[in-house]
Amino acid sequence: MTALIEAHDLTRSFEVSRGMFKGKRTLHAVNGISLDIRQGEVLAIVGESGCGKSTLARMLLGLLPPSAGAITLEGQDIRSLGRKGMARRVQPVFQDPYSSLNPRRTIASIVALPLEVHGIGTAAERRKMTIEMLDKVGLPQRFADRYPRELSGGQRQRVAIARALVMKPEVVVCDEPTSALDVSVQSQILNLLMDLRRELNLTYVFISHNLAVVEHIATRVAVMYLGRVVELAETAALFKAPRHPYTKALLASVLTPEPGLGIPDTGLGIAFPDPLNPPSGCPFHPRCPERLPQCASVVPQILRDETGAVACHLHGQGPAPH
Amino acid sequence: MANSSDIVLEVDGLSVDIRTAGGTLHAVRDISFSVKRGETLCLVGESGCGKSMTSLAIMDLLPKAATKTARRLAFAGEDLSRAGKGRINALRGNSMSMIFQEPMTALNPAYTIGNQLVEAYCLHKKASEVEARERAVFLLGKVGIANAAERLGQYPHQLSGGLRQRVMIAMALMCGPELLIADEPTTALDVTIQAQILRLLADLQRELGIAMVLITHDLGIVARIADRVAVMYAGQIVEEGPTASLFNAPRHPYTQGLIACIPVPGRTEPGGRLGVIPGVVPSLVGEVRGCSFRDRCTKAQQACLDAPPVRETADGHRWRCILENAA
Repeated sequence: MTALIEAHDLTRSFEVSRGMFKGKRTLHAVNGISLDIRQGEVLAIVGESGCGKSTLARMLLGLLPPSAGAITLEGQDIRSLGRKGMARRVQPVFQDPYSSLNPRRTIASIVALPLEVHGIGTAAERRKMTIEMLDKVGLPQRFADRYPRELSGGQRQRVAIARALVMKPEVVVCDEPTSALDVSVQSQILNLLMDLRRELNLTYVFISHNLAVVEHIATRVAVMYLGRVVELAETAALFKAPRHPYTKALLASVLTPEPGLGIPDTGLGIAFPDPLNPPSGCPFHPRCPERLPQCASVVPQILRDETGAVACHLHGQGPAPH
Repeated sequence: MANSSDIVLEVDGLSVDIRTAGGTLHAVRDISFSVKRGETLCLVGESGCGKSMTSLAIMDLLPKAATKTARRLAFAGEDLSRAGKGRINALRGNSMSMIFQEPMTALNPAYTIGNQLVEAYCLHKKASEVEARERAVFLLGKVGIANAAERLGQYPHQLSGGLRQRVMIAMALMCGPELLIADEPTTALDVTIQAQILRLLADLQRELGIAMVLITHDLGIVARIADRVAVMYAGQIVEEGPTASLFNAPRHPYTQGLIACIPVPGRTEPGGRLGVIPGVVPSLVGEVRGCSFRDRCTKAQQACLDAPPVRETADGHRWRCILENAA
């Protein structure tokens, strides 16, 4: 598979005010991430709140410029493509279908807006494309002239998907697309995303904290912790043999509906660290059940091999003490 | 078998009606269940099924527009539906307490957590502030908070989400409750923190012999923590039973549908089609007749226009359906 999007040593920091007299501190939301998004894959980005996954998504969409590093789309720097050029090829679907749709516009005008902005077709042609798109996402034509408030959460998320796909993009960045939905609606949206991917030959970046959903939909998984990718692997390999202790803990935390197994012990000591004041060395070391002496002081280098990538002293290039 | 004195909470024929501009919304419709000492009952269902209204009705915390009726709503043998406001106030936060979903909104941002922890204890137990602080430190340690004494002086915004939820749990346990109602206690938390908090809750509940009602939409949590499960749909309990029996042999088409919807690593085929429940939840405004699931049910028949019978197996697995086994 060829790389469609490549991120090179991507960093994004924010200046965070600490109150009136304390001055500012720098928050490294994304800290030196390099990864490629391959044609036709579903790359899941998983991690807990504050790990930087949404910041990464906004940079991949071209909505947020990186502080350092670059993103290329088929070898071309996305800065040279411009906002509109990016929007033709990479589109988002956001988490909350209640706040991501303009309440004062009809469904048809929400879905047609990208076409209008890009000056595609006449009004009649845009209407036709919109109705076709609504049909593709499973919304009958009678919804076209309704308003978002008349729709359920699942129907709204279908509208958001239709809006993302009406420009026929190659990549769709889905940021927690089913987290706000009930389970019976979630399964419908996941089925729809899978169907559309096959039908339209789409590439997905799928951001989620739900590992059961990720296992179901993704082909590759990147695990993030405090702004870094700590492990990257094909989905089956990651679930079968996780390498990073954080990945192991995440997988152990998945509560499958299997009675009698009880609540797992993740082995993680303390709570998520303050991203403004990240731990020294490996940022995961204070919580890590397998930490080595050097973990507190030395940042682990990322090891890239045929399985994927892992940043952990247990899997270092050098001779790791066992 | 446990005798009747072990029953901490008994709900018989509870209904909650809410006045809305469009008419009366029947949020909870004639539900009955009981919870024993040391037992965890999970109320599970999707948004709008009435699970949170049920918990608020038990705690007498319903919004003003809502009214409840019940044949019997008894806590430790005492019928609360006949108890006055003063009596409820004496029980609530004392021998029956609640953990809410969002600890940031449930905690008062203007008071230190120490103040909030000791308040109910001083009030209900007529204890001195020193005694109350001692108990607070003890319980914060119990819920896994290090440097508990220092934490007492901190404000909610100084704590992470996981720590705040631990404080909420400690607060709910301050007066040694017999009944604990936890409404989506981990929904706002990250997955690794969720597992830690649920483990803690289950351990404390077992150790202290508390009767717990845990409300959630997450079937994974239910399977792992519940002794018994009640599945709610459109304001009714449509199926109830021991956890293993409910998950291994679900009888109601809605329960079967819900379980089929969730991807399970190692069980569902990656990339395969997940089960769906077609249609949407019916409106509960005005009169609701017959089986409320019939419009979405693939096995619906003419007979579903009438109220379905309640069926029961020997192990106490009950469901509301015309079918003996919908599978």
